Amino acid sequence: MRTRNPVAQLRPRLSLRGRLYLFSGAILILFAINVGTSLWGSFARNESSIAYQEAVTAAQLTSELEQNLQNKRQQILVLATLRETTEDPVESSELDQARADLEIITERLRQLGGYGGTELEPYYRRLFDSTTALLAEWRLFYEQYNDVGPASDVESALSYNNAQQRLQELDQRQSYVAVQRASAIDATITLTDQITVIGFIGSIAITLALVFAMIRSTNASLTRMKRGVERFGSGDLTYRIDEQRDAGEIGDLARTFNEMSTKLQSAIEEMNTARADADSANAAKSMFLANVSHELRTPLNAIIGYSEMLQDELGDGTAIDREQFHHDLATIIFSGKQLLTLINDILDLSKIETGKMQVSTEVFNPAGLIVQVCDALSPLLLQNNNRLILDIDKDSMRDLDTDRGKLQQIITNLFSNACKFTKDGEITVSAHINHDRLIIGVADTGIGMTKAQQSRVFEAFTQAESSTGLKYGGTGLGLAIVREFCQMLGGEISVESEPEKGARFKVTLPADPTSAPVTA
Amino acid sequence: MNAQPPSILLVEDNEVNRAMLVRRLERAGHRVITANDGEAALDAMHTHRPAVVLMDMNLPIKDGWTACKEAKNNEQISHIPIIALTAHAMEEDKAKALAAGCSDYATKPVDFPDLLEKIAGWIDANA
Repeated sequence: MRTRNPVAQLRPRLSLRGRLYLFSGAILILFAINVGTSLWGSFARNESSIAYQEAVTAAQLTSELEQNLQNKRQQILVLATLRETTEDPVESSELDQARADLEIITERLRQLGGYGGTELEPYYRRLFDSTTALLAEWRLFYEQYNDVGPASDVESALSYNNAQQRLQELDQRQSYVAVQRASAIDATITLTDQITVIGFIGSIAITLALVFAMIRSTNASLTRMKRGVERFGSGDLTYRIDEQRDAGEIGDLARTFNEMSTKLQSAIEEMNTARADADSANAAKSMFLANVSHELRTPLNAIIGYSEMLQDELGDGTAIDREQFHHDLATIIFSGKQLLTLINDILDLSKIETGKMQVSTEVFNPAGLIVQVCDALSPLLLQNNNRLILDIDKDSMRDLDTDRGKLQQIITNLFSNACKFTKDGEITVSAHINHDRLIIGVADTGIGMTKAQQSRVFEAFTQAESSTGLKYGGTGLGLAIVREFCQMLGGEISVESEPEKGARFKVTLPADPTSAPVTA
Repeated sequence: MNAQPPSILLVEDNEVNRAMLVRRLERAGHRVITANDGEAALDAMHTHRPAVVLMDMNLPIKDGWTACKEAKNNEQISHIPIIALTAHAMEEDKAKALAAGCSDYATKPVDFPDLLEKIAGWIDANA
């Protein structure tokens, strides 16, 4: 016995369908996790590329703004120098151009404000303030350029430098933020890549493990089924598959198989019993036939032997001893009658067995019949030097209404049995009527029987001992016929005996057979 | 050949059949002695040393098979051929008789000329 966790033993395995659902579900979840991490990774990549573009655009705008401011300052410095030396006015178209340039710068500044988010907000605000101040000075410069009067303090280097400084600060900050964002995004990308790779490898491993587990468990279930079929098929009819171990289809299959096994087992056992019965019946019939053959041959031996001998003696011309001749013929006739009795016994039993034996009743005195039978069988009595004691209670005797022929045969068979198995002894035939029952006893002082022999002695085709028939003659039919006849007449027969102490047969018949159920 | 004709021991418990066979064998020129059971048969074999034994198998006191086995195990009489003579006519009965040590086997009802031939054969074989 394998030691198993008792809980695991009680819980049945999932059904095949359950296992497939579980397996598919697990694979779907793994697939979803993989797709999720992959989407997360590509989202991070996308974000990174947007951030990069923003950073590039912002840097470009910053450097353009720086360049524009630088250019414009050069222009203004040149114009200021010109004015001091020549005092030539500037054409209004040039002023317009200058104003437009300043507008472009303002526009650039605004554009720059769109990048960077909250982190850059203070830097941008400072840049915006300083640059707006610078641009206001420059605008004023252009507007007053053609005015006659003292030249205003054109150049405020402080404002320009201030603006430049703010611009550089913003630029630096932009770079710093871009680097920060890039590293954060890189970390995310690395993480998602790792998750994707680990998830993928994990999925493969878990899928393989699930496949393996499923193959193993399904295989174990199927192996259990196969072992059951094999064990049962090889003749172990009591083997049953443990149907608690599997739920669902395989459990159902196991249960169905077990039901089939139970039905087959009982069918096979019934068949075996029937065959054993048929075999023993056949054996009994073969044995019976062998005995019948033996019994037929014994009188036939005398009939044929004596006939051939008489024929020979008649043929060789010697004088015929008439007395001897008569005696020989009597022997032939006796043997022929013995043969007839035997054949009648066989036919009687056959009739009883096929239910064709009829009971025909008549009114008669049983005492007369008993005396008659005993007289008729006296040669048999004397054969083994036995003595007859008749004990008939004539006072209790009265006329009966029963089957005379059958009662005659019952007494004849019991009496000849007693004569056959007793030598130099006594045979007592008794009869009386007690409470509407006729009781006939046939007792001898012969070889007797053991308990086991008594239990079989009334069975058809069976003798007390298989060698008994060989030693004492008889086919084992006499007592079987007696018992059948007793039952047909509504009575019964019993026997008491001990080995070497004789046998006492007791027949009890209803005085009126209609008063008792006829069982045959 | 002035010697007595060789004797036959007939072992048979059925009186009718015994008387019939004695008469027929004597008519055929044999000298016949009889026994009623297996025990008596063994005694007669020792005393009379018959040329052939005709043995019924269903005998009281000691059956034919036992008597046959005992005869074959006894050096003094083991040479005497025993012909089983039985109403057990099945094939296995013949085998059983031969297994018990019988030299030959004949069934009842007796085919008399055939039985005489068998007897002659065994007497010649032992002469």
